Amino acid sequence: MVPTEYYIALSSIIFVIGAVGVLTRRSAIMVFLSVELMLNAANLALVAFARQWSVAGAATALNGQAAVFIILAIAAAEVAVGLGILVAIFRYRSSTDIDALSEVRL
Amino acid sequence: MTLAVILIPFLVALLVIFSPRGMAYALALLSTFATFICSLFLAGSSPLSRQWIPGFGSYFELSSVGAASVLIPVAALVMIPTVYYAGYKVVERTSGLLALLLAMQAGLNGIFLAKDLLLFYVFWEATLIPSVLMLGIWGREERRQAALKYLIYAVAGSFLMLISILAIKPLSGAVSYRITDLMATTPNLATATQIWLFIGMAIGMAVKLPLWPLHGWLIDFNEQNHVSGVADVAGTLYKVGGFGFFAWALPLLPAAAQSIGLLFLILSAITALYAALIATTQTHLKRFLAYTSLAHMGIVGVGVFGLNIAGLNGAVFLLAAQMLSTGGLFLISGMLYERKGDFDMTAYGGLSKSAPALAALSLFILFTSIGVPGLANFPGEFMSLMGAFQTYPWVAALATLSVIAAGVYGVNAYQRLFQGEQKEAIREIRSAEFLVLVPLLAGILWLGLFPSQSFEHIDEQSSLLTQQLEQVDATPVKLAGGN
Amino acid sequence: MSAVELAALAPALALLGALINGLFGRALKEPLPGYLASATVGLGFLFSLFAFFALQSMEEPSVHIALWDYLKAGNFDLSLGFTIDTLSVTMMLIITGVGFLIHLYSIAYMHGDSGFSRYFSFLNLFVAAMLILVLADSFFLMFIGWEGVGVCSYLLISFWYTERANADAARKAFITNRVGDVGFLLAMFLTVFAFGTLNIHEVNELALAGAVSGGLITVIGLFYLLAATGKSAQLPLQVWLPDAMAGPTPVSALIHAATMVTAGVYLIARAGPLFALSPVASTWVAWIGALTAIIAAFAAFAQTDIKKILAFSTISQLGYMFVAVGAGAYWVGIFHVFTHAFFKALLFLGSGSVIHALGGEQDIRKMGGLHKHMKVTSFTSLIATLAIAGVPFFAGFFSKDAILAHVFNSELIGGSKYLLYVLLLVTAVMTAFYMFRWYFQIFRGEERLSEEARAHVHESPALMTVPLMILAFFSVAAGYFGLPEFAFPNVFSHWIERSVEAPVSFGHPSVGLEWFLILLSVAAAALGLGIGYWVYAMRKGEPARGDTGALRNLSASGAGFDALYRPLFIRSSEGLASGLSSLDSNVVNKGVSQGAGSVGLLANVVRWLQTGYARQYALFMFIGVAILALVVALNGGLS
Repeated sequence: MVPTEYYIALSSIIFVIGAVGVLTRRSAIMVFLSVELMLNAANLALVAFARQWSVAGAATALNGQAAVFIILAIAAAEVAVGLGILVAIFRYRSSTDIDALSEVRL
Repeated sequence: MTLAVILIPFLVALLVIFSPRGMAYALALLSTFATFICSLFLAGSSPLSRQWIPGFGSYFELSSVGAASVLIPVAALVMIPTVYYAGYKVVERTSGLLALLLAMQAGLNGIFLAKDLLLFYVFWEATLIPSVLMLGIWGREERRQAALKYLIYAVAGSFLMLISILAIKPLSGAVSYRITDLMATTPNLATATQIWLFIGMAIGMAVKLPLWPLHGWLIDFNEQNHVSGVADVAGTLYKVGGFGFFAWALPLLPAAAQSIGLLFLILSAITALYAALIATTQTHLKRFLAYTSLAHMGIVGVGVFGLNIAGLNGAVFLLAAQMLSTGGLFLISGMLYERKGDFDMTAYGGLSKSAPALAALSLFILFTSIGVPGLANFPGEFMSLMGAFQTYPWVAALATLSVIAAGVYGVNAYQRLFQGEQKEAIREIRSAEFLVLVPLLAGILWLGLFPSQSFEHIDEQSSLLTQQLEQVDATPVKLAGGN
Repeated sequence: MSAVELAALAPALALLGALINGLFGRALKEPLPGYLASATVGLGFLFSLFAFFALQSMEEPSVHIALWDYLKAGNFDLSLGFTIDTLSVTMMLIITGVGFLIHLYSIAYMHGDSGFSRYFSFLNLFVAAMLILVLADSFFLMFIGWEGVGVCSYLLISFWYTERANADAARKAFITNRVGDVGFLLAMFLTVFAFGTLNIHEVNELALAGAVSGGLITVIGLFYLLAATGKSAQLPLQVWLPDAMAGPTPVSALIHAATMVTAGVYLIARAGPLFALSPVASTWVAWIGALTAIIAAFAAFAQTDIKKILAFSTISQLGYMFVAVGAGAYWVGIFHVFTHAFFKALLFLGSGSVIHALGGEQDIRKMGGLHKHMKVTSFTSLIATLAIAGVPFFAGFFSKDAILAHVFNSELIGGSKYLLYVLLLVTAVMTAFYMFRWYFQIFRGEERLSEEARAHVHESPALMTVPLMILAFFSVAAGYFGLPEFAFPNVFSHWIERSVEAPVSFGHPSVGLEWFLILLSVAAAALGLGIGYWVYAMRKGEPARGDTGALRNLSASGAGFDALYRPLFIRSSEGLASGLSSLDSNVVNKGVSQGAGSVGLLANVVRWLQTGYARQYALFMFIGVAILALVVALNGGLS
């Protein structure tokens, strides 16, 4: 069996890629995708731990997986809302540059 | 019944927001009546307790034992004419205002009923929302500044209070936030710890009470609220300050109360005297009323911090009674404004001539307000001052001097408005307006002539509090009349 | 319900009358509210009479009627109840008896006034409150009545509210009384502190049993004295009563002469045992009374208003009563209350009759010679004048002489009593003098009426003159209840002392000395009347008119107390209040706004962080999470 550490390492790498993406990309779409990457990194870590603990006892085995399902559901909802917002923004100012979106600042 | 007095106004408020004006009005009125009737059966109704946030050890626990079964019926009684008056006097966005009034009532009842500290805090903060919204949306020209000022005071105070509340359970090692559990463990806290916790809670409550010098928000709040006065009646949160001390801060932190209560007692006496003196100079009707209610709250403070059962009972009673008198006066200010469009008392004069009934009713309520015996405020005022006198005679005597100033401001206001040469005739009170005042008059007479039942209810709670206070040191708190 | 208990209904009746007149009075045609109000008080008088007769044949000194439990807090209990004993029944008879006559009189006096029913509603309310005051079994209930009569007094002084002066007078009365009320409140707080109860009977018993130290009793007594000075217009709170004459004249007769202002005397008599245990407090009471008596008599000299003279004379006579109760002669104080009620009410009603006849004229310089126009008023006023002047065989003589004799013989107030005696004797001379002036300037001598008044002058209707005649009868007869004890039977002292059992004793000088004292008071009255006759009848008032000096001004200004108090209390407290007011809006509120400003400064710093760039926020978040993770890791993980 592949050791859990490997999964965690992969998860960390994906998470860092996502984080860097969020911080460096200016296109809202790319930021959005990067956030999804981070979420999936977390998902990966969760299922990995779930697999590890399922060996010890069946009762806790589902906890991690349940969390993953919640995250998936949230991500789906978020995509629906987020993309909708992005489309609206794009229509309004024909760009998705998030640095230009600073009107909230007083 | 216990839950009903919170749920009815809350649910109806939700309905009312989305109803058209006429239906909203009918619903809201119906709700106030239903709530009032339910509130009459509060005494003796069974308490309610459910786990609420198990992780925090917080319970959804409500009980009407004690002050709640006095404060809630009186507040509910005041609510009937308030909603009635609001519905036919406020034309702009009526449904919204009615919904906020009801939400306010639900929140207030929650504060009075909550027996779990976290739940109490949630209700405490919840009432802030309708109160600020009413000022911010329906207020007068400078409502934004007034609302901002109010918010800064209230939020800053609540924040400190929250810190104390969150800290009190882990520090004392109580198993839950329920008052019974807390009261079992908090007396064991070191006095220094208690004092810190007390200061945090006390600031939040003193802002609401309000105690000098934290009263700055009150004057602008009343001056800028809607001219009908309904928001002042229902939305002024000072009722909860004194109650907070009485129901939470003092019983939970008795050693702190014993050691620094005197400071608060002195502040209360100052508040009473200071506000009553300033009230004698005011010519703006609403500012005048703000200072008179501040003066009453000073006396409530004196009763509470006298830490004596007579004073505590009197203070809570006065809290209930002044809802009637202050409420009535604010509604009358609305009626006067409707007739003349002015809050400047010097612009009025001699109104007894054209509106004798309005004058008589105003005088009646003014006399209630300044503590004429036989009317509602007097038993509360008397017992507050007398109770405090038993423990700290000098401070109580100082506060008693405010009785003179009360006489001055009472007759000054009446003379300015109703006596002397009549400057301009006004319309006599309408029967609809008369109906607004009737419940208040009935309440005033009932509380003024037969206060014993109310005192019995309050006594159930304050006797627990005095027991808690007595445990603190070897010398028991001197009870009124006990030698 | 026994006959005695029936008396407890009297206040309820008056209250009912007040309610009916207050709520429906405007719907009733004119004389009806008046008769209704009179009937309730008349019925109250009947009930009081029943109680009076029933009490005489009773063994126990008093009947207690429990009303209801007012409130309870811890072990402190307040229940309301009435005490019907000889003292309270005597006061009831005065209130309802004189009150009934004044009600009747008012029907004619207030004829045609637009506030007719309002007037009777207030008057009835007053009677109710006053009855509650005298019937109260506790200081607390007494205070309810005490404030109630104050409120009614306020309402009635400002009855003609459109005139600013009336409203001002009412305000002054109310506020001055409030000062006294604070004394009452503090006295009650102290009473609870010392005795644990407010029940008058229990307090007296406990005090007599020695449960409380003398020093505390003295303090309590002094605070009750402060309360009494407010209601009874004694130094230093006497300033309101002359102004209170702004009310309708029958009101002055009932409230500001016969009944309400005697409440202070009643209070001290009720708490007699308490005061008797404190020679210090009693001495204070006596001195306050004596000083007030002489100062007010002096102030009456230069007054020109027909009612103001009487107002100062009331203050002065109340001073006599205070000296009496201060000296421990409680029944004597009440006896003077009793006789004074008749002749002072009569004097006021006589003035009312004159004012009524002259169409509102109140300046005695514009009167004179009215005797031939209004014979009944003149004769009855003469009787009252002789009574108040202390002429033998009139009621005032007996009560005043009793006061003088008891002060002389008192063993409660120590060595200063002889000085008090002299002060009172001098006051008696002064009283006779200014009352002679009052009567002579109005009814005798040359006519100085204005044209308008001369056309108007007439004797008042029977509804007004009959009460005058009845009161005149009692202004003579009332004195015979309390003849000098050393030589005659005295029913009044035995009657009142059934209720007030205070441990006071009086010296018993020789019968010759007693007679000499009586002779002295007769001489005082004669001297005063003689000087009055010389000045006003023989010299046509010339000696008085010639003197326009400072003394005269001092007298005319009511001994200058208003001028003293205005800067001392009124201006200073107004200054304090407006100072606080500007402090509040400029410093306290602004200070907090400045505090809010510093919040703004902080906000400016924080605002720098809020760039609006989403990616920067994300960076902050990452940093924050990283720090948190680090902290957790350094602390050894989560578990």
